[in-house]
Amino acid sequence: MDNATNSTFNGTFDGNGTFNGTSGAFTPPVPKPFWTGLLLPTAYLIILIGSLYSFSSVYRQRQIARASKLEPWFPQHVTRNIYLSLLHLDPEAASDGEKKLSKVPDSVLKAALLKRAVEDIQRIVQLRQAKPALQTLVQRGSVGDELWQRFQRAEQEMELEVKDVVNEANAFAPNWGQVIFQSANEINQNIMLKKRIAEMQAELDSDKAWWENKRAGIQDQFMKELEGDSADAAAAINPPVGRKTNSDDDAVLVEAGGPAQAQGGGKKKGKK
Amino acid sequence: MAAPEGPETFTLLPLHLDAETKALSSPNTNLADHLDELNRFHRHIVALDTPNQNIPPPAPVNPKRSVQIGKLRESGNASFKKGAFAEAVKMYDLAIRMALDRPPWEASGLVREELSALHGNRAQAMMGQQAWPEGALDAKISTEMKRVGNVKGWWRRGQCLKEMGRLEEARDWLRQGVEFERAGPEKANLGELEALLRDVEGGLAAKAKA
Repeated sequence: MDNATNSTFNGTFDGNGTFNGTSGAFTPPVPKPFWTGLLLPTAYLIILIGSLYSFSSVYRQRQIARASKLEPWFPQHVTRNIYLSLLHLDPEAASDGEKKLSKVPDSVLKAALLKRAVEDIQRIVQLRQAKPALQTLVQRGSVGDELWQRFQRAEQEMELEVKDVVNEANAFAPNWGQVIFQSANEINQNIMLKKRIAEMQAELDSDKAWWENKRAGIQDQFMKELEGDSADAAAAINPPVGRKTNSDDDAVLVEAGGPAQAQGGGKKKGKK
Repeated sequence: MAAPEGPETFTLLPLHLDAETKALSSPNTNLADHLDELNRFHRHIVALDTPNQNIPPPAPVNPKRSVQIGKLRESGNASFKKGAFAEAVKMYDLAIRMALDRPPWEASGLVREELSALHGNRAQAMMGQQAWPEGALDAKISTEMKRVGNVKGWWRRGQCLKEMGRLEEARDWLRQGVEFERAGPEKANLGELEALLRDVEGGLAAKAKA
């Protein structure tokens, strides 16, 4: 085999006499071209894999960095901060009065944890409401990918947060973790209910003022009508000022009588 | 302060715990609302008589408060029947305050039901005093708490609006009420609502002619 290749070499490099003569002496360093032959592909592989690896790691790092730079979906979780601050509170330094507290009472911690769960519920509701709309927007390409990434990160964080709260609750009382979010949900509903009532209650003052105004207007009208009537009937017996006060009283009486009758009918209806 | 916290970090807030009342406060004024509510939760927790002061699940509520609210409502109803509307309003006021002051984690459906009934009754008592704006508002709250199966609530606000001469508003309101109640459990009483609606529409037509 070796000889055969040599002979073809001979044939091609015909004019080279020295090469021809030393062809027999070349046989010992045959392993050398074998190793150099292997060196090249291995170097190639190493460089290839190395560059791919470094590219991917740099790329991934950059992406993580970019993701961490993304604006969080929610603002600061204040109630979580309050709860954790309470856990780390040094009660003796933070409390005053004659008797120092040796530890933050459990009831306070429970209240803080419940408050945190309420905030979580509100966030979960927000996320659930936003998800379908956001998904269609992303599919249509109406909003950037970044928004979707932010949203997904918020979802992941929320999941961790819920787990954390459940664990904390179970530490206070066995099985509290199973119901704490039910309680928090009811609290949230109650908060919304009260807010709605307060909103409606706020309308009362303006409504009342409007009605007072209107009633005064109606009274005025009555008074004028009465004045007109009495001007026809009785000529100038009474001085105008006295008549005016008189008819004013009449107007009040009439005004008070009218709706009372209507109310009488209404009440019967309402009682049915 | 604005730096976001990851799952492993948090921002330490300056908190102050009162040794006597165990009330929390903070020099940071942004926290005031949160801490007020927290302290309110805390008072409710301390008032609990469950073992270890564990927070009970929302469903079976402490019956004591329901009984008290029921009593106040009954005495309000009694005053109303005697025609002592001011007295009745006072009783309903107390009952409403008690219902609003339930521990926050108790079932909101129950709170709705109670408030709807109480505000409805108070609306009726206000109407007895010809306090139409107050009556209208109470009836509105009552229907807001319970939209279906509350023919009386719809009717009361309609009546109050009519008395105040706000006929268009009354008509819209009553139409909405009829819409809601048509499929509701109080279908039988829908006639009253429709009668009032016809009345209001008649009034509007007469007004348009004049």
